[in-house]
Amino acid sequence: MKFWEVTLNLLEGFGTTCSIFAATLILALPLGLLIAFGSMSRFRPLRYVCRTVVWIIRGTPLMLQIIAIFYGPPLLFGISGFDRVPAVIVAFAINYACYFSEIYRGGIESVPRGQMEAGQVLGMKKGQIFRHIILIQVIKRIVPPMSNEIITLVKDTSLARVISVAEIIMEAQEYTRQGLIWPIFYTGAFYLIFVGALTLLFRYLEKRLAYIKV
Amino acid sequence: MEFLRVEGFRKSFSGKEVLKGIDFSLEQGQILAIIGSSGSGKTTLLRCLNFLETPDEGRIFLGGELLSDATCKYSERELRAKRLKFGLVFQNFNLFPHYRALKNVTLAADLLAKERARAQKKEAVAAGCKRSRAAAEAKEFYRSLLAENRRRAEVLLERVSLSDKAESYPFELSGGQQQRVAIARALALEPEILCFDEPTSALDPELTGEVLKAIRALKGRTMIIVTHEMAFARDVADRVLFMADGVVEESGTPEEVFGNPQKGKTKAFLRHREEMI
Ligand SMILES: Nc1ncnc2c1ncn2[C@@H]1O[C@H](COP(=O)(O)OP(=O)(O)OP(=O)(O)O)[C@@H](O)[C@H]1O
Ligand SMILES: [Mg+2]
Repeated sequence: MKFWEVTLNLLEGFGTTCSIFAATLILALPLGLLIAFGSMSRFRPLRYVCRTVVWIIRGTPLMLQIIAIFYGPPLLFGISGFDRVPAVIVAFAINYACYFSEIYRGGIESVPRGQMEAGQVLGMKKGQIFRHIILIQVIKRIVPPMSNEIITLVKDTSLARVISVAEIIMEAQEYTRQGLIWPIFYTGAFYLIFVGALTLLFRYLEKRLAYIKV
Repeated sequence: MEFLRVEGFRKSFSGKEVLKGIDFSLEQGQILAIIGSSGSGKTTLLRCLNFLETPDEGRIFLGGELLSDATCKYSERELRAKRLKFGLVFQNFNLFPHYRALKNVTLAADLLAKERARAQKKEAVAAGCKRSRAAAEAKEFYRSLLAENRRRAEVLLERVSLSDKAESYPFELSGGQQQRVAIARALALEPEILCFDEPTSALDPELTGEVLKAIRALKGRTMIIVTHEMAFARDVADRVLFMADGVVEESGTPEEVFGNPQKGKTKAFLRHREEMI
């Protein structure tokens, strides 16, 4: 009886975990691309701003960023800031966008210049070159590092509990406080299954892209 | 009748002058071989002709008309149109690794076809045609253009003796085969002038022959070939241009430049080349 009750409670927490995960990806994947373009821009101020932001975000703990985004606005400006879940999602999205941007940048810069030039001499437009020549080669190169980051994100979601967002670990800790130890270990199974499914997905993607030899 | 005239090309990279005023002209259907030692600016010259670099100064005349003037600023659109006058075959092929040989050849033409079909649809709608009908007609038009592109690409691949490799990816091809695909690709949009930048220097010696043969088979087109293959240049070219330190040191017919060079630098270069062989 207890097992099912715990399972249901943990599932609820895991739902929150998954929402944070999904919302972060949806926001950070495109935002990261914007930051990547910004940090490669020929317009110097933009480049510096982007690179500084990336430095700050990658140079400080994500936990600190969550706290700053949740408590920062009310403390600094006396305004009511984000609710808990949105605060977590904003912090995660910015943090992961910065990591993604560096992966994108590495991927884009690793495509030989000659690829773009080959498109140019064939009279292709910049957008056409990006969409038909560069993009798929970038994707091919970034799938392995991106899968790493995304798997890390699954586990990083547990940081949300620093501002009392009831994700799965926090739900389990509720039981620990009541003297019930096993639920906290039980959470591991949820993560393992989720990460296992992601691993299969990424492996499939890598296989689908294997025909591109770069 | 001169077909191409290049006038006063100058180009510096961070203060170092790489092209110091290049002038030459070429008749329609002629082949120009450009020779010269490493660092003399041959690649830079071809890149300027193909609008991959903008020269600091200089003009290009094509068919008696001004095509470009380095001091004018051209829009992306104008630049694209000008680029299509020239084709370029790169030293290291630069094939698109994710497309099969045939698609490498048709890609640019297919994209142009898409633009044309879109323009046609827009025009039809503007002229009062029903949207669905205009769309259907544009789709039909696009299909016919694609079929035409494919047919022409097949012909081009056949001309470089690669009909059987149309469905191969670049990594499945030898260097010589890749370079021949690259030649077919450069021909797909019918450039007025086809440029080659040392087309065989990234190849194993036993593969250079097939590529040179493919180039030879294009005789009749206006071509500019930068090459270290002196025998090939002598044999295939109508004009030879010897570059040294960013200037045209000597130019003339192959007999003149190879048989009776006038300048000391030319003589030294050719002597050095012979010693290497
Ligand atoms: N993008 C660039 N930035 C700075 N310097 C450059 C650039 N491109 C070329 N150069 C310099 O210009 C000079 C001429 O280069 P170029 O590649 O045109 O010579 P080349 O005649 O093609 O030589 P090679 O026979 O070795 O191919 C070289 O000294 C080179 O270092
Ligand atoms: Mg060169």
